[in-house]
Amino acid sequence: MTFAPVLHAEWLKIRTLRSLPGALLALFAVTTAFSALAGADGGSDPEFDPLFTALSGILPGQIAAISFGATAVSSEYHGGAFRLTLAATPRRGRWFAAKMTAIAVPALLVGLVTAVAALAAGRAGPGSAVDGLTVGEQLRGVLGCGIYLMLITLFAAGLTALLRSGVATLSVLIPFILVVSFVIGDAAGTVADFLPDKAGQIALHQTYDGTLGPWSGLTVTALWTAAALLAGGWSVRRRDA
Amino acid sequence: MTSIEVQALTKEFGSRRAVDDLTFTVLPGRVTGFLGPNGAGKSTTMRLVLGLDRPTSGTATLGGRPYATLREPLRHVGALLDAGAAHGSRTARDHLRVLAAGNRIPSARVDEVLEETGLASVARRRVKTYSLGMRQRLGIAAALLGDPEVVMLDEPSNGLDPEGIVWVRDLTRRLAGEGRTVLVSSHLMNETASFADHLVVLGRGRLLADTPMREFIDARVRPSVRIRTTDAVALTTALARHGHDAVQHDDGHWTVHHARVDDIGRIASEAHVPLLELAAEEGTLEQAYFDLTATEAEFTTRPTQPQHQPQGA
Repeated sequence: MTFAPVLHAEWLKIRTLRSLPGALLALFAVTTAFSALAGADGGSDPEFDPLFTALSGILPGQIAAISFGATAVSSEYHGGAFRLTLAATPRRGRWFAAKMTAIAVPALLVGLVTAVAALAAGRAGPGSAVDGLTVGEQLRGVLGCGIYLMLITLFAAGLTALLRSGVATLSVLIPFILVVSFVIGDAAGTVADFLPDKAGQIALHQTYDGTLGPWSGLTVTALWTAAALLAGGWSVRRRDA
Repeated sequence: MTSIEVQALTKEFGSRRAVDDLTFTVLPGRVTGFLGPNGAGKSTTMRLVLGLDRPTSGTATLGGRPYATLREPLRHVGALLDAGAAHGSRTARDHLRVLAAGNRIPSARVDEVLEETGLASVARRRVKTYSLGMRQRLGIAAALLGDPEVVMLDEPSNGLDPEGIVWVRDLTRRLAGEGRTVLVSSHLMNETASFADHLVVLGRGRLLADTPMREFIDARVRPSVRIRTTDAVALTTALARHGHDAVQHDDGHWTVHHARVDDIGRIASEAHVPLLELAAEEGTLEQAYFDLTATEAEFTTRPTQPQHQPQGA
């Protein structure tokens, strides 16, 4: 069995479950809308960062990305679905790789499009702080946003494969993103910089002064994601269906 | 053609042995009924054959190959394990399209099996609107999708209406008639008796029987004969002379236990007993099954229960 048919099947699964394209649409809509709102009243904060303000919709928007990753995997653990999946694709490693590819590619593409739209919305707003950004900074923001959203989506997907439950994943990640990271996140220059979400978000800032830069920050997030994927892949390969 | 070979298969969940040193072969061209009470290990065995669970020891192969080594396995083996396998928010057609895509099965085949299982008119409805019987049909459609040589159905009649049960019976007979290997698990005896040629019986994860169905019944249940007559005295006298006992029932008919209809007919005829009715009462699979489980009573009944009343627990 080659990889392409398995990937095709996994892609069809994502397309044919209404909630999954819905989550990607929500990712786009929420991120763009909140970015536009933030751009409209930004500028007074002394720590104002025009790039991050323009992309700040990603903070609520990433919850849609997490839901997408978690739901795409947890739909396999409804009823006897996983048994049927593995009966159709007994090479579990190959199946897991196909699943993650089918999740990663749309997340990356939607992330990129969302970032472009958020920047465009920022430019349209009255603040127009975005005008002060160089093309390079904007490009980094767009790429960083796409890669960050893909990584955080895969992080949720890997965790769901490990826990075999979307509810469990969401109830770990969403409080983490909303509370833990938010509360201790202000303690910049500490271990908080190395949290999966904080590290990757450095790429969305115009200026940064911590240990990590934009690309090293994304690398740290990628390491978290790799760990979640390894754990999830291990669970898929080792455990009885 | 491909057979299912189970060799010294054992599966432990913690300290519990769900499948205990099981060895049997399911051959093509006939329907093999897979019998046993709930929890006997039927579903576990099927999962082991499909490589979904790892055996503690032993092997399960299809035509000599482990399931996991099959290229595009749905083209070789079709299985219904669980009517809940289809996601409720997907349409039946999409559910089958996904399976077809992963095994490079032409999508025209999706519409064929939907037609065959009577779901064509509801194929674009979401599965969560389906009744249990419709989900069961969808599960069977998925099993047939790759036109496989081996078909395994776990409790296919679950939730089906009487028409559906007849349909499953005809389907399994037809598949076996086409030379396929057909394994159908059930805990319904009359149901199994209506389609099986061969039986594999499990109890507590162990193999209790692996025989043709007719032999299984004949070896365990001696047939009896049903008679109605206008001259009860002549009948009982004639039977007594040949060492047969007859038991009269409330509605007036008699039963001669442990007798063959040919013998009883000849006896009655020679004694000029006027007969209104003479019929063989063949042993049923249910009787044979309970006889088997009674002999395995130490496994099937609690010590406090009388041993002659196995409930098939």
